[in-house]
Amino acid sequence: MNSHAQPTPAVAVKGLEKRYGSLQALSGVSLEVEPGTLFGLLGQNGAGKTTLIKILLGLVAPTGGRASLLGQPVGGLAARREVGYLPEDHRLPDYHTAPSLLDFYGALQGLTRRERQARIPPLLEMLGLKGREKLRIRGYSKGMKQRLGLAQALLHRPRVLFLDEPTDGIDPVGRKEIRDVLLEEQRSGVTVFINSHLLGEVEQLCDRVAIMRRGHLLVSGTVAELTHIKPSWLVGFDSSPADLCWEACQLEPARPGLWRVHLDSPGPDGLDRFLAEAQSRGLRLRHLEAERATLEDLYLALATHDRQAP
Amino acid sequence: MTDHASQASPARENNPTSPPSPRLLRAFCAMLLDAWREFLDAKILLLLVGLIGLLFAVALTGRIEPQPAGKNYLDLSARAMAADLEGVDLSQESVASMAGRLNGSVVWIAKAEPLGADLPTGQWNVELKRSFVPLVAGPLAAEEVQARFGRIADGQLWRVSKAEETSDALGRTVGMQSFQLTVAPGADLRLLWPHQFSLFGDSLDLTPPRGAPLGLEVLILQKLLTTGLGGSLLLLVSVVVTAAFVPNMIRKGTLELLLVRPLPRWVLLVMKYVGALVFVTVLLGLLVLAGWLITGILAGIWSPGILLALPSLILFFALLLAVSVCVGVLTRSAVAAMLVTVTYWAVLFIAGQMHNQVVESRLREENVGKLRPTSVVDSLRGAKPRREEPLKAGRVPFYRTAVGRVADGIYTVLPHTEDLDNLVDRQLMRDLAVSGPFRALVERAEFSWSQAVGLSLLHTLAFLAVACAIFSRRDP
Repeated sequence: MNSHAQPTPAVAVKGLEKRYGSLQALSGVSLEVEPGTLFGLLGQNGAGKTTLIKILLGLVAPTGGRASLLGQPVGGLAARREVGYLPEDHRLPDYHTAPSLLDFYGALQGLTRRERQARIPPLLEMLGLKGREKLRIRGYSKGMKQRLGLAQALLHRPRVLFLDEPTDGIDPVGRKEIRDVLLEEQRSGVTVFINSHLLGEVEQLCDRVAIMRRGHLLVSGTVAELTHIKPSWLVGFDSSPADLCWEACQLEPARPGLWRVHLDSPGPDGLDRFLAEAQSRGLRLRHLEAERATLEDLYLALATHDRQAP
Repeated sequence: MTDHASQASPARENNPTSPPSPRLLRAFCAMLLDAWREFLDAKILLLLVGLIGLLFAVALTGRIEPQPAGKNYLDLSARAMAADLEGVDLSQESVASMAGRLNGSVVWIAKAEPLGADLPTGQWNVELKRSFVPLVAGPLAAEEVQARFGRIADGQLWRVSKAEETSDALGRTVGMQSFQLTVAPGADLRLLWPHQFSLFGDSLDLTPPRGAPLGLEVLILQKLLTTGLGGSLLLLVSVVVTAAFVPNMIRKGTLELLLVRPLPRWVLLVMKYVGALVFVTVLLGLLVLAGWLITGILAGIWSPGILLALPSLILFFALLLAVSVCVGVLTRSAVAAMLVTVTYWAVLFIAGQMHNQVVESRLREENVGKLRPTSVVDSLRGAKPRREEPLKAGRVPFYRTAVGRVADGIYTVLPHTEDLDNLVDRQLMRDLAVSGPFRALVERAEFSWSQAVGLSLLHTLAFLAVACAIFSRRDP
């Protein structure tokens, strides 16, 4: 074995296509997620996020391209053994109690009775469902169902977790608990693939993020990389720099005496060129401050672009 | 949290090495248990199982009491000694038409005294007289009387434990013999012995004043409890409850949670099917067993023929469930699955009844001019022989009419589930010595287990295969 070999990606997708009749749900999506990553997938409704997840889980067959999970082709039984899934709007069979449901799913997953008996009580405790073991699921609140849904996804200790809106319907304290659980999973080497509309949560939790629109993967990277794609700076000079900018640089007044500079290039070159230009015109720098955009800014910018697109 | 993180990972360490068969078995057991929970969850189940329990409770209040009838059957047996009844086929000929078999003698009971009550379990002292035409028939030895008395084609009516000839040489010479016999009812006589059947103690009599043959009463009771009302109710409950199984399983948000498990989709569907079938089988088994026990307790008849109703009912439900699963997969609707299944059931029933009419009309035409089948007992009782009459001029037998041909054509392509019922009836009638026109119908060779079972299985598998094919290919 080559010691310099790249680790097998947890998720690898190349040129993935999916067409439902006349609707192109996915168009040439390519993506790689390293093992142990907390990955957030963002996009508006109908962007293709759920279709992508369903293809990765082997629930839906792609019409083109390739996809693999932990080096195994998606859809195979070997790949499914390593996967935990919490669908959005899941409906757990309500004639079960929490332990009987987990026992049922655990057995289908291939866990022995001993493994199930050892795993289920601590899992219920961890997700705050202890003491409700005798209650049928039809008596559960939405938050309890969500916790139980997460429990079934974690039950067999999968290596890749796909969670569709995992904190949906859960109160802020519960969300914090779930975030802690997911971080713990990540620390033990699990790849967590989250599909969420809660941008702040994704920004807080995820190492890497991708944004989809109309079946295309628009951007993918770390949160820091994405929020610096179009960096802006607050600058102050001893006199007005109003006529300083060119096409890769836009300047607008921000606060009295301060100007906001938008640079197309995320690297240091753009800023260096801007400062050099200012110096050559005799302007003397008095203030320089990086303005970091949030994920929400980026998301909304892309969504706005989407609406303006023909 | 740390505990969770530090525990050994079952999925990461154990699963890849565990062999597939135990995994499949484990999954199957889980599906079985899940089906049981879902089955118990249906409220209608309790209501209808309660109704069936009520039916059985009412049956248990029944009493079956024998009526005095020993003298009649002694007379019948004596009369039967006047003819050679060996090898008589009840479905083909009548005793009344067997003049050629008469052996030139007349036999009658001169005196009969029960040693105790006149019951199908008591003993009798009998004085038998025989008059014969010396040139046509000879005297009969006591051993021969012992061997032949009570044996008719319906079975062994009496067992003779002692037989002595009391006539002298002169009597034998002039054609007059007398015998002293000690007899007890044979096993088959019990089935023919008239019994009174009443419910709620003695307050509701269900038989005519002179009673009805015990075999017939047991047959009706067994049919009512198993393949009749009891079975139909239980099958209906099962169809209603299980119709929701597949639509519930494949509804959005539930299906995904199953499909991500490391099992082929068709296996999941087949497991769900088998899970439902197993529990209905258990319920049907209890029903048939209860029917058998109740008739055994009430009548003391432990004939095992009724147990054939179990495979017949299971096979029928397996077919209905396959239809329900197929419609459930196609429409994702429990109501549609239930309605289509019940309609299919009704179609099978009507087609089966029409097929019976077709067979019966064919049978009638074949037997025009021949005697209608009757029992030896009825013949000996003096029932007048009736010949099968031809149809009125201008009337075509049903099997040759357009309706008859279409009905028969439809029946050919359908699973022959009505045949299963006929075959169970045939076995019951044989076991319980019940004869009559319907017995003649179900004794026809065209009703065969291999064909009825084979066709039902074939249709069941076809419906399941279609369901699996659709389920495996459709995006959730």
